[in-house]
This record gives sequence, C-alpha cells and structure tokens, in this order.
Amino acid sequence: MGFKQIDADVVVVGGGSAGTFAAIKAKNTNPQARVVVLDKGPIETSGAIGRGMDALNVVSVPGYGTPEDVVEALTKVSEGILDQECAYTLGADIYDRIKDLEEYTGREPGDLFPVDDNGNYKCNFLHPTNKALYLAMDGEEIKRALAREVRKLGCIVLDRTPAVRLFTTDGKVSGVFGFNIRTGDQYLINTPAVILTSGCVGKFGMPRDGYLSGIYEFPGNTGEGYALAYHAGAELINLECFQTNLLMKDFNGPSCGYVVIPRGGCGVNALGERYWSHGYWSGDMFLAVWREFAEGRGPIYLKLDHLPEETIKGLEKILWGTERTVRGQFHKQRDENYRRWDSVEQGLEEITLCSGHSMSGILVNKDTETTVPGLFAAGDCASVPHQYLPGAFVFGAIAGRVAAEYAAKNKAPGLDVDAYNLWKEVRAPLDLPEPGIPVELAEIKIRTRISQYLTPPKSDPLMQKMLWWVDRMRKEDLPQIKVCDFHDLIKATEVQSIIDCAEMAARASLFRTESRWGLSHYRLAYPKRDPNWDGKYVVVKKNMSTGEMEVSAKPVPEYKWDYPARLEYEYPEIKLDIGKGFVHPPNDSHDPWISGKVAEEGLDIPKRMSARQEG
Amino acid sequence: MERYSCKKYEWVKVDKSKCDGCGACVEYCPRDVLRLDGQGYPYMAYRDDCWYCDVCTFMCQLDAIRLESVPYLIK
Repeated sequence: MGFKQIDADVVVVGGGSAGTFAAIKAKNTNPQARVVVLDKGPIETSGAIGRGMDALNVVSVPGYGTPEDVVEALTKVSEGILDQECAYTLGADIYDRIKDLEEYTGREPGDLFPVDDNGNYKCNFLHPTNKALYLAMDGEEIKRALAREVRKLGCIVLDRTPAVRLFTTDGKVSGVFGFNIRTGDQYLINTPAVILTSGCVGKFGMPRDGYLSGIYEFPGNTGEGYALAYHAGAELINLECFQTNLLMKDFNGPSCGYVVIPRGGCGVNALGERYWSHGYWSGDMFLAVWREFAEGRGPIYLKLDHLPEETIKGLEKILWGTERTVRGQFHKQRDENYRRWDSVEQGLEEITLCSGHSMSGILVNKDTETTVPGLFAAGDCASVPHQYLPGAFVFGAIAGRVAAEYAAKNKAPGLDVDAYNLWKEVRAPLDLPEPGIPVELAEIKIRTRISQYLTPPKSDPLMQKMLWWVDRMRKEDLPQIKVCDFHDLIKATEVQSIIDCAEMAARASLFRTESRWGLSHYRLAYPKRDPNWDGKYVVVKKNMSTGEMEVSAKPVPEYKWDYPARLEYEYPEIKLDIGKGFVHPPNDSHDPWISGKVAEEGLDIPKRMSARQEG
Repeated sequence: MERYSCKKYEWVKVDKSKCDGCGACVEYCPRDVLRLDGQGYPYMAYRDDCWYCDVCTFMCQLDAIRLESVPYLIK
C-alpha cells in the first residue's frame, strides 16, 4: 500500500462507454496530453456495457433520420425540459461515432450494424415519432475494443481505482483522489480538467427480490459522479424525474423491449390485451403500466409468440448473446419460452436516477461543460435526456476533445491537500474498532428507505420522511460503518453517494409543484401538469459557503425548434371515497388499570416466570 | 455437518479439470467478485456483489468457469 502523486492534463473518472471515448478523443486531440483514466473495475469489462450491447437506441443516419428528428423525439419524451442543442448534437455526431466503432472493432458495415439495400444503416421505429431512430448492433466486443484503443494511445489507466474526492481551487477544478480497491494504493492527481463519466445512480431503490446487486443498471454505478459534482459546486438538474424501470421481473435486466418491439413484439396485460400504444420508456408508458397493476390487470408481459419462428430465433441469439447473456439461462430455469405469450413477465422495479434512460444528471451544455470551470461530464451522469448509449459515445468524445483543449490553455491550479489526513478520513471505516455496522446493512437500509419513501406516485409526507432518514443516517449510521478490506471500503463511499442522491431526489421532487413525465414525477399533492412549469429546470446545487443543499428553478435554453413538447396522455382522476367505516363509542383515555401498574411497578417488566425447572 | 458449509453457496462454478489458474476471470470481473483460493482456483470471495453478467465465462479461454445459475433470490 502506497501513496502516489500524479500530474495530469485530463483525468477521466469512469472508464465506461463515455469515459473510454473521452480518453481516446483527448489523446487524439493532443497526443502529448497526460490522460489518466480511473475506474472501479477493469476498463475492458466495466460499466453499463461490459458484456456487450445490442443496439444504439437513438441515432440519425442517412436515409432514416436527421438531427432535427432527434430533437423532435427528445423534445417530446422530455416534455420540453431539455437543451435542444444537446439533442441536435447527439443526432449530428452519432454517424461519426458509428464509424469510430467500426474502426476500433475492425468490423465492416453490415456486421456490427445492419445495412439496407441502399447501403444505409438500417433503422427501426421505436420512439413515439414517425421516424426510425433505432439502430440494432451486434456489439459483444465493443468494450474490449474501446479499452484496447485507450491503452494503445498511451493513456494511464488505473483499473480498480475509483475517485472518491474531487477538488477545486478558487472555484476551478484542481484534482482528484482515489484508491485501489485491492491494494489500497492511493493516488492524488493534480489536473486542470476532470471529465465525470461514472454512470448513473444504478444502486438507488431496492429491487423487490431483495438482492442488492440484482438491478437493471451496472451495480458499480452508485452515483459517485452526481455526488462528486455536487460537492464541487456544480448544478444538477431533473433529479425529480425518476427512472421507473419496466424490467424483466426478478431478473431485473432489460426485457428487452427495445430489441423486441422494433421486430414486432408488444406489451400486453394479464388478459393478453395491449395496454398502451407504444413501448418506449417515456413516463406515459410507465404510467400506463402502473394503471394496469392499480386496476388489477397485472402482471404484464412482453409478447413475442405471434412473431415468425426465424424472428424469435434471431431474438434469442441477440438477447442471449449480448448485454445480459444470462437471460436465456433465466428463462430456461423457469421453463419459459418466447413461443408462449406470457413468458416474459415484466414489472416496475427499483427506481433509479439516470440520464441515458431518463433525464437526471449534472447540468451540461452541448460541449459537456458543467457550471464549474474545468469540470466536464458525459454519459449517464450528465443530463442529456434519453441519450442512451449513443449519447455516451457522442458526448464522451466531445468531452475528451474539449477537456484536452481546455487543459492546453489552463494550467492545473495549485492543490493544497493534506493527503495523510484525507486518506485517514477515507479509510476510517477500516480503522473503526469492531463490530460497527456492516456496510451491506447500511446499504440495505438506505435503499429500502428510498424504495419506500420515494417510489412514485410520490407523496409529500413520505418524501419529507425520506429527508429525516437522510439526516439520521448521515449522523448515526455513516460514522459507524465498518469494513474489513479495501474491496468493501469503496462501498462506504457508495453508501454516502446514494444518501446524497436520495436527498437531491427528494428535495427536487418537493420543489416541482406539478406532475410531469408520467409516472416519473407523479406527485399526488400536485397531480396535474402545470403549464407554469413548462420549460423550467429544477436545479440542485450545494451552497459552497454554508454547505447547504439549495434548490431553484431556471429556464431551459431557448428552443430553436418548435416541436410538440408533450405526449398524449392525462393523469388519472383518483377518487378515494371509501365511506365512513364504523364509529364506536369513545373510550376513556384515563385507564386506572395501567396507570396503577405503572405506579406499582414502574416501567420495568417484572420477571414473573423462570424458564428453569422448579425444584 | 460443517457449520458454515451452507454459506459457501456459489453460482459461479469452476471445472478444476480445465482451469489452469490463469486468473483472467479474477482480473476481468467488473465488480471484483472473484479471487483465487489456496490451490489457485477462482471462487466467489464477494458473492453478493455479483451482477450475474457472465463476463467470467466470456473471458475464460479454457471454458473452465461458468455461471451455473442466476443468484438464488432471482431464480
């Protein structure tokens, strides 16, 4: 175990899809730049697509869509709460990133991505628009190819070394601190530019099957990017828009509707009826799912049995061969078969904060700049609504280029950090005398509270209670977390990040006095969409003087395109008149029998019987 | 019966007749779940961090390790 100090030009926090692209493009921009990548795992297999990926969920490619079409789709599904320039950039740049992916993997058009008879990449319909913006992919080796490129270019890769602190000097980024989760080696890195690409808050709500790692998102994504940005003073937005996942029940991986629906599959309820007009993960669809359960027509299913046999076989190859390959085994162990209509049971599982599949994250502009100079963000931790994997590639690449250019013009500010005491603070759960609180229990506690108090439909008193739990766990539980090795030490940081994100989510939700995005922010105290909230972000930010969390509203950047900013749905009228019950005569609140016992015996419980045998 | 034997329940299984102890599965597990035991074979040192992602199976060149099942709570 040792301490190392590094001077860098660009530091990438998180070596997933966005992070590897950021590192590659930073090096492409300035081959002399010292680019450091930190990751909780090995970059060959870490992040959301470690085992591969089967589609680019939003693209614009010749013959099928334009960048304006992407703006139209994202304006609609975000209900107007977006920076249209980011959406346009996503559409404008994705073609070049597709070409990059073919180059890095060494695979031809038609192999990695399908092409049509005209030689264009062949897209399918998925979004609630009339444009085909979904591109399939046979991408089992994507992550290995990106990692190979990162290493080939000479980036310094610190595998299994997550960043746990982000420093600023005079309001500008100045460095990060991380440690290796096997060896305990510590790294203090002085840099002018940090790119946060550390993913979503995948470990947030608790899955109903009770397995801590049994979640939709990669369980290494626990909100460090959100928390590091927050404590550095950056603005975060859309934290009230929860990802209310519709998943393959219990497996909690993707069902995968986005692979099945573009090939003719559909969602049905327990009666075998289609319950909604589309299967895109926008809040209206989640609300429709919630209604099916509320009205007694759950569970719901993803229906494939009407598809041609060759299509079903093809889906099995794609679904069981990339991303979450254990899906096939899961089905077999339950004797499920895609040739039966009710084989893929779906459920609304754990809530999550995520940009890629939803909208939550660090506020960024189209150049990935946050509100803190020198801090950039991309991928699932940076708020570009519904950007999915293409957004990670597009904005990861932009972040790498822009950060390298920034670093060429800005020296790293001085870093005045007492590394000895910082490490002492970080490793406190290791040094705490036994027994302490096992970190798994602390994680279960915060995540079960998140599920109970924050899951939509949202209740104001329950969200207030969540804030009580946040405060209590910070004061009473965090100082008592005990771990026995470096592998578990990072989990203490993860629990802190989850708690920070829970507070941000609760406060943002309580600030937006309306309901929006279907189930994702269905607030029972304000159960309708309010036009006064059109075009307004809820911003969460740390007051760097007081340390308090501040919440405010601010307008989204002016629209350049006049597209519809809503989907066709309404919130339900909930009428809960359940009658009067039964009113019995009042009881006397003075009970001489129990007060007499207190007077006689005090509050102690007398031992009246012994378990030992008499005599 | 050994008191803790039931706690050794693991869903990642190693075929010791094929495994040469190269440690690729340990190195590439994205959640750092695996370690090599005293005999040089991988085991689930941090079982409950497993995302059942199957990377261990995929990265093994000798077909010596496999995810026998999804975790019990999910199965």
